[in-house]
Amino acid sequence: MSAALYNLEENIVDVLQTSISASLQSNAKNEFVRGIRAALPVMLGFIPFALVLGAQAIQNGLNTIEVPLMTGLNFGGGSEFTAMQLWTSPPHVFLIVAMSFLVNSRHILMGAALAPYLRHLPKRHAIPALFFMCDESWAIALSDAKKQLSGVVSLPYYLGVSASLYLTWVLFTLAGALLGPSIGNIEPYGFDMAFTAVFLVLLRGMWKGSKVCRPWFVSLAVASLTYLLIPGAWYVAAGAVSGLITAALSGEQN
Amino acid sequence: MIDKLTILTIVSMASTTYITRVLGYLVLRNRMLSPRMMSVLENVPGCVLISVIAPAFVSNNLANLLALLITLLAAIRLSILPTVVIGILATGLLRHLIN
Repeated sequence: MSAALYNLEENIVDVLQTSISASLQSNAKNEFVRGIRAALPVMLGFIPFALVLGAQAIQNGLNTIEVPLMTGLNFGGGSEFTAMQLWTSPPHVFLIVAMSFLVNSRHILMGAALAPYLRHLPKRHAIPALFFMCDESWAIALSDAKKQLSGVVSLPYYLGVSASLYLTWVLFTLAGALLGPSIGNIEPYGFDMAFTAVFLVLLRGMWKGSKVCRPWFVSLAVASLTYLLIPGAWYVAAGAVSGLITAALSGEQN
Repeated sequence: MIDKLTILTIVSMASTTYITRVLGYLVLRNRMLSPRMMSVLENVPGCVLISVIAPAFVSNNLANLLALLITLLAAIRLSILPTVVIGILATGLLRHLIN
């Protein structure tokens, strides 16, 4: 009798476990698909830039293996465009690495801001996932985390966003490399506004009134002035840091 | 033919980029953050995003500035996809008409 009960109990536990893991799996799949959907408008913005970058790289003497190697290993548009501007034959390794660091130094702040939303993940998952952190995947995942009940980044959602953006970037930079100079100048068509548009909508979602968001205006002013006055990619770092100093100082006042 | 120095540049550049991506996380992962530190971090997204797009606000091209204004108005009301489409169309059209 007790053996039969025990068996029954085991069966129930089994069934429950299977159904829980199945629902977790289907939930992960839904989250991944939701991530792909969120990435769609950004992919639209990536394509023209990727084509132009690939074409520029070919003109700089890189070949059709080296181009996807660069965009696939580095996966950071800003630093890749900078590298192409500085590219000589042979390339000046130190200069390019130093400028990549400068252009990407904002990632350090971005990773720090994301850290509290990744507490639920083991390090062995977070570290590889962060390879895909770009402005867009980071901003989308972070603003989604703030809306969710869980209050943390949904990993499959983030991976859905990341996979879409990563594949788009690598494949279309390769396409740009293959098409080469025939792409010509796409500047007149206005695709460059895509990123500004995405960022403005994300900023709108974070807006909490002009008083709370005062650091943003400091960032905007300092970044604009730096952009106008100092050549190179210093404006992002200068703008971000000055806004954060403003935030730290006004936090002290309150 | 793959050029050795090109590969060295690409790999060094990519490693540097990856370090910037994990550094902030690794430093703050297990820290208890003070309220002031939290409020500074809360401002990171806004300050970074607005700094990245700051050059658009000081463009010396009238078409670009008008298109930015239209995109900004769209961004206040609409979701990402329609804002992107309106932004691209407005920029393309205005550059065509004005420049």
